[in-house]
Amino acid sequence: MGFEQIMIEVLKTLSFEFILLIAAGVLIGLVIGALPGLTTTMGIALLTGITFKFSGHSAIALLLGLYVGGVSGGSLSAILIGIPGTPANASSVQDGFPLAMAGKGAQAITISRAASVMGTVFGIVCLAFFTPILTELALKFTSAEFCLIGLFGVLISGSLSGADLAMKGWIGGVFGLAIGMVGSDELTAWQRMTFGSPEVFGGIPFIPIMIGFFGIPQVVESMIDEKEVLVAVLDKTKVKLKDIMKYWWVAIRSGLIGVGIGIIPGVGEDVASWTSYGVAKRVSKHPEEYGKGSIEGLVAAETADNSCIGGAIIPLLSLGIPGSPPAAVLLGAFLIHGVRPGPMLSFEFPAFTYQAVAWLLIATLFMRFMVMWLARPMQKVLQIKNAILMPIVTVLCAIGAFSLDIRYIDIVLVFLAGLLGILFRRGKYPAAPLVLGIVLGPLVDTNFRRALQASNGDFSIFYRRPVSLILLIATVVLILGQLGVFSAIREKLKRKKEKAVS
Amino acid sequence: MGLGFLAVGLFVMYDGYVAWTAPALSVVPKPSNPGITTLFVGGSLVFLGLVIAVIGLRGSGNPLRIGKQAVSETIRSKAFWRGCIVLACIAIYFFGFWGRIPYVISTFIFLAGMMFIFKAGAWWKIFIISGVTVAIVWYVFGELAMIPLP
Repeated sequence: MGFEQIMIEVLKTLSFEFILLIAAGVLIGLVIGALPGLTTTMGIALLTGITFKFSGHSAIALLLGLYVGGVSGGSLSAILIGIPGTPANASSVQDGFPLAMAGKGAQAITISRAASVMGTVFGIVCLAFFTPILTELALKFTSAEFCLIGLFGVLISGSLSGADLAMKGWIGGVFGLAIGMVGSDELTAWQRMTFGSPEVFGGIPFIPIMIGFFGIPQVVESMIDEKEVLVAVLDKTKVKLKDIMKYWWVAIRSGLIGVGIGIIPGVGEDVASWTSYGVAKRVSKHPEEYGKGSIEGLVAAETADNSCIGGAIIPLLSLGIPGSPPAAVLLGAFLIHGVRPGPMLSFEFPAFTYQAVAWLLIATLFMRFMVMWLARPMQKVLQIKNAILMPIVTVLCAIGAFSLDIRYIDIVLVFLAGLLGILFRRGKYPAAPLVLGIVLGPLVDTNFRRALQASNGDFSIFYRRPVSLILLIATVVLILGQLGVFSAIREKLKRKKEKAVS
Repeated sequence: MGLGFLAVGLFVMYDGYVAWTAPALSVVPKPSNPGITTLFVGGSLVFLGLVIAVIGLRGSGNPLRIGKQAVSETIRSKAFWRGCIVLACIAIYFFGFWGRIPYVISTFIFLAGMMFIFKAGAWWKIFIISGVTVAIVWYVFGELAMIPLP
């Protein structure tokens, strides 16, 4: 498809209806993101259930708008009440809230908004540039490479998002792989782990599981901690563009970190923002100001988490492997709406990547204006008691899951996934690897067996080609590194050296 | 939790073994047998669950005594009971009301009941909020999206 045809396809999806839906998505995302307890991932899962009757592309445009709005909206509550709206904005609390408490709330929101816009646009530019390149590369991949990418994704996601032990991340990922394998096998139609229940012959439905896994634990935890919130007062200070542009280097560096982390499967915005914040503090000329209201710190955190959006969508569109938990839920939504991300997307919907780029840019534009308009009303909204909000969220969780297939089993799955989510939170097991495991389970499973079938059971297919060899080495290095093998060797060498010197 | 994962892993392995040895799959080449990945995933889960369980048990002293203490502390905490009440309300709504009582009535009872239990505000406020929420949900899902509400 030529450039002109792609542009025609892109313009087709920029009608008034689409723009309105994107605006609605951004608005919903900003509110969901700003309300502590309601995360972007949960918002996308909930809205997927609600929008399943929309035509494919329009629902996706709305969900992408929600993604952009959700990540930015979290900074509002981080700055105004010192509680991050989403985990992605936890690092923004460090400097945003002290700034607001010092009477510079409006200034902090303006700067955070500018950083969000810069970060999102940077991520979108990278998305437009790298997705076609990665797609070209992915078209040359065989089943062995796809299997190894999936496995590497689950393991690295476990390693990077494990709260205290990498092992906990891995176990979450492997558990997710097991859940992803429930149902009819793609190659032989053999029923696995279905307990003879025909409702799960087609596999465990992803969206109800996500709604339950993220929604129910949040409802329970929010109802347990009924706290009074302290809302900062907004000043009327105007921030000039040159005051923001002073931090251009911080923004570029954070943008690169965000996109880089976004591309890594399943890691997500929270890791991007903390990493960027940590790097910015380490190289800053004024590290002592961090945590006390440093504008530089706020720019670093907000740029990174927003640029991660574009980064996370790159592997989603090119490989069918999501770069973050919200992108994983987006994958489920894409499939529901007839769009199958991966290398074949460039044949089935050649203009889709550029349509997504256009929707994301429009969403960024809406986010740019809506954040400031919403800041003052949100001061009131943030004071709504959890006892009012959370029962409503529960009702939306139930009806959102039920709407997809009109099956009672989905309600049961929401509850069971909710219990699992509570156990994961209590045991400090990260959610991202589990989500990625569920999504990638069928991909890893089918491609593993396809590769073995193609090689007549010869395992050398997993290291014969350069890409698969690199992926295999990376996986082994990752496992050995997390098991402490390298640090033990280093320690041993150090001791040996000391012994020799003495 | 490590032991829980271990148990799940054993079940996954068993399911894999059943597929691996199933006569119905005897014509399928072994590399394509669905049991191969299930065995691998189940085995990994067993191994990781065992490691987590060993890490948890090692250095924690007498696991039975520690477990008993943790359970008694949890049961005495207010947060635990609040959590149980929330889960019980959700369970009643999902398993007791869903499909048995008309959706509008059951959702109103759930919303108002939960808000009452957790002292969301004055009774008339709770009634208005619950009523408006139910009306919106019914209109959006039942009327606009034409979903057959239970």
